[in-house]
Amino acid sequence: MKRFLATASIAGLIAATPAFAHYGMIIPNDPMISQEDGRSVSLTMSFSHPFEMDGMMLDTPVSFSVTHEGATTDLLGGLQSETVMDDQGYTLEYPLDRPGTYIFAMEPQPYWEPAEDAFIIHYTKTYVTAYGDDEGWDSELGLKTEIVPLTKPFGLWEHNVFQGIVKMDGAPVPYAEVEVEFFNDGAGATVPDDLMITQTIKADADGVFTYAPPSNGWWGFAALNTADYTLPQDGEDKDVELGAVIWVHFEEWTGQ
Amino acid sequence: MIRAAALACVLAAVPLWAAAHQMIVFASVDCEAVTVEAKFSNGNAVQQADVRVLDGANVLLTTVPIETDGTATVLLDSVDHSTGLVIEVDTGTHDNYWIVTPEDIAKNCQS
Repeated sequence: MKRFLATASIAGLIAATPAFAHYGMIIPNDPMISQEDGRSVSLTMSFSHPFEMDGMMLDTPVSFSVTHEGATTDLLGGLQSETVMDDQGYTLEYPLDRPGTYIFAMEPQPYWEPAEDAFIIHYTKTYVTAYGDDEGWDSELGLKTEIVPLTKPFGLWEHNVFQGIVKMDGAPVPYAEVEVEFFNDGAGATVPDDLMITQTIKADADGVFTYAPPSNGWWGFAALNTADYTLPQDGEDKDVELGAVIWVHFEEWTGQ
Repeated sequence: MIRAAALACVLAAVPLWAAAHQMIVFASVDCEAVTVEAKFSNGNAVQQADVRVLDGANVLLTTVPIETDGTATVLLDSVDHSTGLVIEVDTGTHDNYWIVTPEDIAKNCQS
């Protein structure tokens, strides 16, 4: 009996501990839209623990935009409310009128996470190429914090490395910590230890990080830093975690 | 659904050899003309190429010249576009195509 209570107590403690990483998510139906795929891309936006497929509330974002050929267009008004991973998310069908790389970016409202006694703001983006034209794949948006790709962020085989520069206010962040997590949508991936749900790497002195995923699918990279400002909560000033998030799809290798 | 059916119909007529070789072909359409744009993946415009215009049954309708900026123009009045159009650009060493579906024409003509 005593053993049962001890086990139950530990289980309760684990259940109450939010040990998993939060991710803003922008997931297109396909990161490489060909003319045979149609003339638009379908996007799904959420805030979640992507490996556990555990959704959280994504309030109406502060901004949602697309950048193409250097021009940024506000798409916030086009978002459609949708349940994503059993919680509030959004969808958008966006017409791709011309070839090139379309960069979709979202700034969410600050998310108060009492377990961390801090706010979370994940500046999230993903790159979609249309009609065989990858021009613009290395574009930097100038977000508050951002991962600028050094590797083309689509058209990657599984096991290829992905490299990016972590930036804050336009400057590289030396030795930035980058969390990496798999979007476990239908893949049924399991882990031998919870430590492997989110893998953690560090950038080098120039803010450059490198990662090679073990499988195809969507992989999220979140570079986390504490903001140089605070936000009020219950009459106190609280830290703000700023995340630079990029979602990258790796394709299944088709050779023998 | 209509677009998918139209696209499938036109695609069935596209010859298999019309695969991409790092040349990008795109065409936009309004009520008067199809504007073809051809460039290489490094951004350079295609300056010498044959531009062939075929219908949805893969019948050659016409050929048009390509300009030095990599564009070509196909006047809609000059071709039967009821089954869609396949625009082939062939430099001799690179070739690619763009499909203009009947829905593309209808949609852009209305806007």
